[in-house]
Parts: sequence; structure tokens; C-alpha cells
Amino acid sequence: MSLALKDIAFSPTRFILTVLGVGFLITASIGMVGIYRGIVDDAMLLVEKVGADLWIVQGGRQGPFSEGSSVRADLDQRVAGVAGVTSARRFLQVSQQFDAPDGVGQMRAAIVGLDYPKDEGNWIDLVAGRSIATGHFEAIADETIGLALGDVVRLNHDDYTIVGITRQMVDLSGDGILFVTINDAMEIAQRRSSEEVLLTRAVMDDAGPEAALSPAANKVAAVLATVDPAADIAAVRASIAAWGDVNVMSRADQRDLLLNQRLWRLRVQILAFTGVLLIVMTIVISLIIYMMTLEKLHQIAMLKLMGARNSLITGMIAQQSAAISFLAFGVGIGLAKLIFPLFPRRVVMAPDDITYLFIAVAVIAACASLIGISRAMRVRAQEVLA
Amino acid sequence: MSATIHVENARKHYQSGDTTVRALDGVTIEARPGELIGIMGASGSGKSTMLLIAGLLEPPTEGEVFFRGERVSCPGADLDRLRAFRRRNIGFVFQKANLIPFLSAIENVALALKIDDVPKRAAHDYAEALLVELGLGHRVDNRPARLSGGEQQRVAIARALANDPPLLLADEPTAALDSVRSRHVMELFRTIADVRGASILVVTHDPRSVDLFDRVYEFSDGKIVATSRRTAPEALAAH
Repeated sequence: MSLALKDIAFSPTRFILTVLGVGFLITASIGMVGIYRGIVDDAMLLVEKVGADLWIVQGGRQGPFSEGSSVRADLDQRVAGVAGVTSARRFLQVSQQFDAPDGVGQMRAAIVGLDYPKDEGNWIDLVAGRSIATGHFEAIADETIGLALGDVVRLNHDDYTIVGITRQMVDLSGDGILFVTINDAMEIAQRRSSEEVLLTRAVMDDAGPEAALSPAANKVAAVLATVDPAADIAAVRASIAAWGDVNVMSRADQRDLLLNQRLWRLRVQILAFTGVLLIVMTIVISLIIYMMTLEKLHQIAMLKLMGARNSLITGMIAQQSAAISFLAFGVGIGLAKLIFPLFPRRVVMAPDDITYLFIAVAVIAACASLIGISRAMRVRAQEVLA
Repeated sequence: MSATIHVENARKHYQSGDTTVRALDGVTIEARPGELIGIMGASGSGKSTMLLIAGLLEPPTEGEVFFRGERVSCPGADLDRLRAFRRRNIGFVFQKANLIPFLSAIENVALALKIDDVPKRAAHDYAEALLVELGLGHRVDNRPARLSGGEQQRVAIARALANDPPLLLADEPTAALDSVRSRHVMELFRTIADVRGASILVVTHDPRSVDLFDRVYEFSDGKIVATSRRTAPEALAAH
């Protein structure tokens, strides 16, 4: 006969509500950690997926994610000529707001240029459709943008047909990525209003034809170099850096910049909030167990009067604490799996994080039990007469 | 035959601010096997304190407690270590039945046996037999909330008897019951004393059952002011 289970069965509604309440707290904790992981994963997505060993960006800058970067569009040819470089691809990313295909409302995407045909986007995980197969006016869209295969969207002055769909390919801010060819991306990046064109034409008379071009014309954000595994990457990096007009960054540099500078405050904030949630959870579970113990003080005194060993009393409290905590953990996981896919940003439930959270919940349950047990141990048998 | 319980010259003094409260002031009582002893007196006369000391729940400030001739309590005694002794030798019944609300009648009784490491099946069977013996055969699976006050008190008595203790202590067991049920409970104690040979100390205000007691101690201001035997219950009933 388990006294803990008998007590739970005696008032199941209260127990279920308690488990649900603690379960929601655990869901919130999973969510906070998951959002953190999601933001980090999203930030790292392009850096990791695109597979470049070196990022050649504007000199004196640490772009293209942490700072703006703009290099000449033909820089890739210079990079490709460096000994040890096996391929050089141009990279450009611009955020764009555009009209939805049905004309109702607007959509937002991070437009990333693929250096087609050198880069056909084979590293992009498609869930539907195909990769880009022509030099212009085809696009691969992430499903979070809200576009479907065959949709046509107007970007700058051209129409683009969606030929492929990806899942969970978003930029740092959570905007879905729309892949187009690098030439199309450069065209989209230099979008100008008619008034701006007229003004630059007026300037053209005084300043020559170059002034009519957008500042973004013939520019890309970076050149991505893949280095021969047999080559000395440090030597390759040094020889490119020696040009002086560019800055060379490794994949690890990009990762470090994103995590420890660009996202630092956000990471600390989310982790701090997760800490606060864990403290709240500890207090709530402890309070629940303590109150449950207080309600049973008379019965505990009676058990002591009957000569019950302390192990029976501590077992009852610990079992109830464990039942609440571990069932709530299960409920928390279930709710998280149910709710988080509906969230606008990715919530990553990493097995390691879930394991750590389980350990945290077990420790919290143990602490809560100790508080209840310590109160129960102070009860004297003669309090039955009180 | 030695007394089951013998409390010798027990004093219990409490400090309340600057005042010393003499809850018990040199009391000696004893109960032999098969005796039903009444302890009567006004509120604050020391009856319940006497029960706490006899039940090994409080040590006396002075005096000693002997159980079957062996000293078990004295001033400063660590009574918590006597938990197992209490479990096997003393049964308690109170004004309130103090049943565990989430256990059925049979589980409440069986719990006392399981605490004493009696196997589950045997504990269950004996608990059922006890409840049947006390006229609760039809209520074994009911939780306390579904039982009347008298039935709850009988379950509490069954629980107190579960380990077949030689000593039963009852503190105002009939205070919450009407006169008919009070009489039934007191008669039950009488039967238990006669049949099982247990010593039973009953603290009560109720003079209507004094005819059932073998001996009655009258308490006042922490002292025994009168002792009467079964042969003369009328005098005490008039108190």
C-alpha cells in the first residue's frame, strides 16, 4: 500500500491540476532553452551550411553578418586565382519586403544570392520542388515566408517563380530565406524608386556615368572560398589578407562573431530568463510539497503515534514530490511538442537540453521533498492531541 | 500479577513566562491486565497530561513510568527511540477518530499492522476480522468520510487493537458521540478488557459509564483527589 498513491487517488483533480501547472512551467523552461537554441541554430545556419572555409569581406570590416560588407562583384576571380583555393563563390544577402502573390498584404524574406552555375544550391535541403536550373527569375523559398511551389513574386521590377521549398532555413532575425541567383540578388539589392533614378540622371551630367549607378551596383557582400584540404589554410588566408583591401575570416571567426558579439546580449538574456524560470519552478514545486505536507501534519503525527518509522513518512512525501515532478515533466514535454511547432520562430528541443532539464527537475523535486520532510520530522506524535 | 502500566509519583511542570504550571503534581496510578480504568476530572485537571506520560509521549518532570515492571520513562528520557515499543505495546484512541482520510476502514486498520511489518495479506485479513468483530463488517471498504462518528470511532478502536497491545489509552473517546453510541463504545472497552485481558485507561468527562470501570481516578489541579472502585460507582456519578 503506497500512502502517496492512495493520497493522490483520494483527490485526483487537485493532483492533475498541480501536475498541469508545474507541467506548464516546465514547458516554459523548455521553450526558453529551445528559443535560445533555435536562435543560435538559425544564426549559424548559413555559416555552417554554405560550407565555405574562408569569408573574404570588405577590408576593415567583419561582415557580412556582424557588420555591413561590400566588395566588388569580380573579387571572386581574384580569390579563385590564389594557390590552394579550389572554388570562390560570391555571396549576397538582403532583406526584402514585397507584395504577396495574391496581391493581399506583404511578405518578408532574406534574399540570398547563389553564385549559379558554380553553386547550384546542392547544400540546400529541399522539402519540395527542385534547385535553381536557370540563371534568372527562379527562386527557392523557405516555407515560413508563406510561398508555395509555382507562386510568382515580383522583386524589384522582375517576376520570380518559386521552384523549390525549404524548411527551417531562416536568417538571424528569423526571416525565411529566398534563394535566387547572385546576379538576380544584385539586381534586387539595387532597387531604386523612379525619383531616385531621375535624380541620379541629373547628377550624371555633372559627375559622369558612374554616378547614375546605385551604390550597390556590381557589389556583393562577400566571396566564399573553399580551400584544398591539402593546402595550408593559414597561408591561403595570409596571402589574401595581404591584398589590404579585404578582410579574411574563417568559419570559426564567423561563428565566434555571431555567438559572442552579435547574439551575446540576447543569449545572456534568454539564459538569465531561463534561470529565473527554474528558480520560480523550484519555489512553486517546493511550496506545493510544503503545503501538501502541512495539510497532512495531523496524519503524520498520528503515524508517528502509531509507531511508524520515519522512512514511511519521508517515503510518502518523496514519492508525492517525485510523482508531481516527473509526471509534470512528461506533461511539459508533451505540451512543448504540441505547442512549439506553432510558434513563429524555431524552438529546438535538443536531447541534451531535455536531459539537463530532467536532472534539474529531479534536483528540484529532491529539494522540495527535503523541505517537506524536514517539516514532517519536526512533528511530534503528541500533536495528535492538539 | 504485575501492573501493565505503573506511573509512580509523576510530576509535569511547564514554564509559562515567569509562572510554573503544575500540570501534574505527584500522581501515581496503575492498571493491571483486564482492568478498565477511568480518569475523570474538570478541564485542566491534568488528565490528558497523565495520558501523555503513560503513553510515553512526554517524559515526566519527576517520577517514573514502569511497563510490566520495567522502567520505560523517566525525566529527560528520549521517547522518540521508544517508537517501536509504543507500536507493539500501546494503542491510542482519541476524541476524534484521527483516521487517515484517504484510506478505507480496512486500510486504516491494516496500516497499523503493516507499520509493524506484518505481511500485506495477513494484515488485511486480521484487519477485516477485527472490523467484523466490532460490527463493521459491512463498512470495511468505506473511507472515513462515509462513516458515522460512532463507526469512525470503532474503526479507531480496531486500529488501536490491531497489534494486540497490552495497554490501550483513550482520551475522551466518546466526547463527540451521543449517549447511546457513547455507551456502546464504553461497553466495547469493557469487553476488550475482559476478553483480551488488555489494560485500558480512559480519560472521560462522562459519568454515565462509570459503572463499567474497575477503578476511577478523580483528578483536580494535577492531583488525584479521589479513587473509587467499581463497587461504588454512584458516588462518582454524582460528581
